[in-house]
Amino acid sequence: MTESQAIRRSTAAEVTIATPEGVLFRLPLAGPASRLYAMLLDIVIVLATVNGAGLLVYWIFSKAPGFGVLVTTIGEFAIGFVYGVLLEGFWNGQTIGKRLLHLRVIDRDGLPLRIEQAWVRNLMRVFDALPFAYLVGGISALSSPLMQRFGDRVAGTIVVRQTPLPAPREDSWTRQKYNSFMNHPTIAIKLRRAATPELAGLIQDALRRRDELAAYARREIYRELAAYLQSEISPFPDELVEMLSDEQYLINAAGVLFGDQRPSRVYG
Amino acid sequence: MILDLERFQAQARPRWSSLESLLDALESRPDRRLNPAETEQLQELYAKVAADLNRVTHGALAPELRMYLERLVARAYAELYYAPPTASGIWQPRRWLRIFTAFPEAFRRQARYFALAVVITGLGCALGGLAVRYDPASVDVLLPADYLRNPGQHVHEEEQGQRAHSTQIEAAFSAGLIRHNIQVAMLAAALGVTFGVGTALLLFENGVLLGAVAVRYTQQGFGLFLTAWLLPHGVFEIPSILIAGQAGFYLARLLLRRREDRDVRESMREWLVLVAGLAMMLVWAGMMEAFFSQHHEPVLPYGLKVAVGAAELALLTIYLLLIGRRGAGANPH
Repeated sequence: MTESQAIRRSTAAEVTIATPEGVLFRLPLAGPASRLYAMLLDIVIVLATVNGAGLLVYWIFSKAPGFGVLVTTIGEFAIGFVYGVLLEGFWNGQTIGKRLLHLRVIDRDGLPLRIEQAWVRNLMRVFDALPFAYLVGGISALSSPLMQRFGDRVAGTIVVRQTPLPAPREDSWTRQKYNSFMNHPTIAIKLRRAATPELAGLIQDALRRRDELAAYARREIYRELAAYLQSEISPFPDELVEMLSDEQYLINAAGVLFGDQRPSRVYG
Repeated sequence: MILDLERFQAQARPRWSSLESLLDALESRPDRRLNPAETEQLQELYAKVAADLNRVTHGALAPELRMYLERLVARAYAELYYAPPTASGIWQPRRWLRIFTAFPEAFRRQARYFALAVVITGLGCALGGLAVRYDPASVDVLLPADYLRNPGQHVHEEEQGQRAHSTQIEAAFSAGLIRHNIQVAMLAAALGVTFGVGTALLLFENGVLLGAVAVRYTQQGFGLFLTAWLLPHGVFEIPSILIAGQAGFYLARLLLRRREDRDVRESMREWLVLVAGLAMMLVWAGMMEAFFSQHHEPVLPYGLKVAVGAAELALLTIYLLLIGRRGAGANPH
């Protein structure tokens, strides 16, 4: 991962949930913009449904257009609410717009929301939509640490981002036959101490993109990184450095940071 | 603990995938019920993957893997700790019919907020009525529509049948009324989040209009017409706005006294029941207003209209005060 990603991730809003077993996990919160887009999509879907059904209703009630109006007016009104409630309540906290934008409504304890919560947060829209274009709800979401509009606050719900996340790929360079740093536990410890997530990310990135770099640039970058690490980890045993190229130095450092060489370890 | 990420991933990946596929299957079920074998499997995988997450969080610098595991743990946690609705059949009609008894029960439990709504509306009525009575200039301000300002002309038109009445127009009219009234009522209930200030203002304004109209029509000798005009639907419409105010004040009280959000979440059920009940009342009121209230003498004698209104009021009172078990359920607040 790149450094810029690390920074972006640390500033993005998230909620940390502690389970009764003491497991902590973070959920990324959805921002007002993506929620607005999801809502616009939903509005388009509801209007299309209502108008499509309306044509059918008018055809059925062609002898009694007044009742056609009655059915469509009430239907449109009811569908406007029920659409959000039923989909969020029974379809994993997602309307169609939310699913397309990878958003999901959940209870603020991290559990699926209950149907009552779906009702409350959707009925409260009459207030959040005031005075126009969801101004009240938008200001409420921006001023809330959990990005909640008033409906969410009262219903005890949050909207989280749920982008599909494949299991990350493995890096083969952490796996080598022999890592001389492992023979010097003090070095490994110092290295781990010195490595901020940014620095570790930088080393990982430099190694991953080895073949993309021109030979000269690669030499320079590796030399600078290795020199920086050596200055952080002094005194450094001379016999270690003498044998190593800068690249091997970084590979060993990455092996310490991201992998573990001891074959006797038992996992699982 | 410092992890050998590669070996760790190779070993743990199978359980991550099996948890993922189990979760995919569970999440596609609307009622989210687990059978005992699934519960056991989920519990076991959850514990293992949560332990994996702990290791990755504290033993390795692997932000992407950590996010992936966090996502998995979050999903498994949600399935494991979520208590699905108790009645297995969400679509059972009996569950939905419960609202007819739950509504008056909730109404009685929260009667003091209803009383507050009545007092505020009453104050508005008094102000509106007194203003029209003693300050004729205020009529133009308080009564926006011409037919409210000049009852004589309005009554004349209505009684001459100059306004077209047909079942078709009435049907469309009733739909508009139901929709508008439910919107206003829901706003009153939702404005509870302004700690009740918005609810109070809305009720007060409603009261002012009501008081002003009543005094204006009575002053000019159309009291009976007004009663016959408003009573058949008003006996449902006005109480339902008051119940909306009741729900609003109930919400305001919840927000003012809350210590933990959990309390609000649990207690919002009461608010929902009140809103659902008043919506049902407003459907009836809208139909009465369109199909019955708009007919006047000589088509419908005023005495009959007033009698119908009075009978409705009696039924509503009996319903709200007597239906359901008295003191049923614990008083949440």
